[in-house]
Amino acid sequence: MVDVSIPQLVDWLSRFRDLVTENRAYLTELDSAIGDADHGSNMARGMGAVMDKLGAATPATADELFKTVGMTLVSSVGGASGPLYGTFFLRFGTTAGAVSQLDAAALSAALHAGLGGVLARGKAEAGDKTMFDAMNPAIEALDAAIAGGADVAAATSAAAQAAAAGRDATEPLVARKGRASYLGDRSAGHLDPGATSTAYLFTALAAATA
Amino acid sequence: MIAIVLVSHSPALAEAALDLALQMVPGDRPKIAIAAGADDGVIGTDAARVAAAIDEVAGPDGVLVMMDLGSAVMSAELALEFLSTTSPVTLSSAPFVEGLIAAVVKAAGGATLAEVEGEARDALAAKRGALGEAEVDPPTEVSGEETTSTTDVMSERMTLVNRDGLHTRPAANLVSALSGFDAKVSIGVDRGTGGKRVDARSLISLLSLGAKTGEVLEVEASGPQANDAMARMRDLVADGFGEEPG
Repeated sequence: MVDVSIPQLVDWLSRFRDLVTENRAYLTELDSAIGDADHGSNMARGMGAVMDKLGAATPATADELFKTVGMTLVSSVGGASGPLYGTFFLRFGTTAGAVSQLDAAALSAALHAGLGGVLARGKAEAGDKTMFDAMNPAIEALDAAIAGGADVAAATSAAAQAAAAGRDATEPLVARKGRASYLGDRSAGHLDPGATSTAYLFTALAAATA
Repeated sequence: MIAIVLVSHSPALAEAALDLALQMVPGDRPKIAIAAGADDGVIGTDAARVAAAIDEVAGPDGVLVMMDLGSAVMSAELALEFLSTTSPVTLSSAPFVEGLIAAVVKAAGGATLAEVEGEARDALAAKRGALGEAEVDPPTEVSGEETTSTTDVMSERMTLVNRDGLHTRPAANLVSALSGFDAKVSIGVDRGTGGKRVDARSLISLLSLGAKTGEVLEVEASGPQANDAMARMRDLVADGFGEEPG
C-alpha cells in the first residue's frame, strides 16, 4: 500500500487553499444567506497565510507541519472557522506524530482526531447543519473503503464523494449551531458554508493522494 | 487579586468596555489584559492571543476570561490548550459589558475567582429588574436565617440624597469602600412590606434594589468591624457619594 508523503500532505493544503480561494465569492454568498458573509474571505485569507508560512519553511514531519497549519489558521481567520479548522489540523498533527509519511490507517486515525477536535470546539451533532455533516460521513466512507481493502487513493476518493453528499444534505436542514441558528426555519433551503468548505477539504485530499 | 482577560472581535469595543468598567474602581484594580482582533487588523478572535493575554496577567488567584460572542468563545476554549500558566482559569458566560463591570468591581474588592465569576454571571439581574421582567433574585441575596443567626447586628436607616440614587457608580463606590472591613453588611429599601435585603459587597445585587433619591435604606451590619463599616456607609450616603444632591 502506498503511503501519503509530506509533499502530498502539503499538496493537499495547497489544493484546499486553491479551492477556497477560487470559490471565495461562492462561500461568502452561501454565508450571506445564513451567516455573516465572511466564510469565503476568512478561509481564503487563512489558507493563504498557511501556504505563505509553508512556502517560507516546510516542516519535515507531520506533527510540525500541521501544528504550523493549525496555529496559522487560529491567528489569521478571525471567525469561528479559525478555532474549528485550527483545532482540526492541530489534533490531526498530534495524532499523526513525528512521521514523514502516513499509511491509510494513520491517515484515518489523524482524521478521526481532527473530527474529535471539531466536535470539542463546536459541540455539533449530526444534522445540525455544520461542517460536521460533511466531515463525519467522509471519514466513515474512508474507513469503510479501507476496511474493504481499498488503497489510499480509492479511500480518499470515496471520502470526497461522501463529503459532497453530506454537504448537499445540509440544504434542507434547519441550523442548530452558529450564527445560522439565529435564523431558525429560515436557514433551511441553503447549503451550509462550513460543510461546503469541508467538502473542498476532502476533494483536495483525494486529488493530492490520487 | 484575580486577573481578568477580555476577548473581543474588536479592540475598540474591548477598550471602550474596559474604560467604562474602570470608572467604577478608583483605587486598587485587578490586572486586565485584552485579546481582541486577529492578524492584520482582522475583526475576529485569535486563540493564540487569548492564551498570551491569560499568561501575561495570570497570578495565584486565577484569571476570569470574559468574551463577546461566537468565535470569541471558541477561541477562548482553544486558548486553554495553549496556556503556559498553571493558575486556575475560568471562562465566564456573563454578558460582556455588564459582566465586566460587575467583575471588575467584585475583583477589586478582593473576591475569589468563584465569587467574581458568580457576580458576573448574574450581571443581567439589575437590567432585568429595571425593565420589570420576572423578579430576579441574585444568589447573593441575604437570607433571613443568615442575618438573624448573627448575634450582634446593628441596624440603621439612611436616606439617599444624591439625585440619581444608588446607580452604578455609587453602588460600585460602596462595594469598594466596604470591602476593606471585616464586616457583613446587608441593605434593603424601606417600601412598606416584604422588601428584599442584599449583600452590600455585590454591585449587581445593590443595583437590583433600584433605590432612588429620597428613599430610605435599611442597613444592617455585623462582625468585628461592623461599627466602622456602618460609619463609612453613613458618611458615603450622607455625602451623596460625592454626587449632586436630588
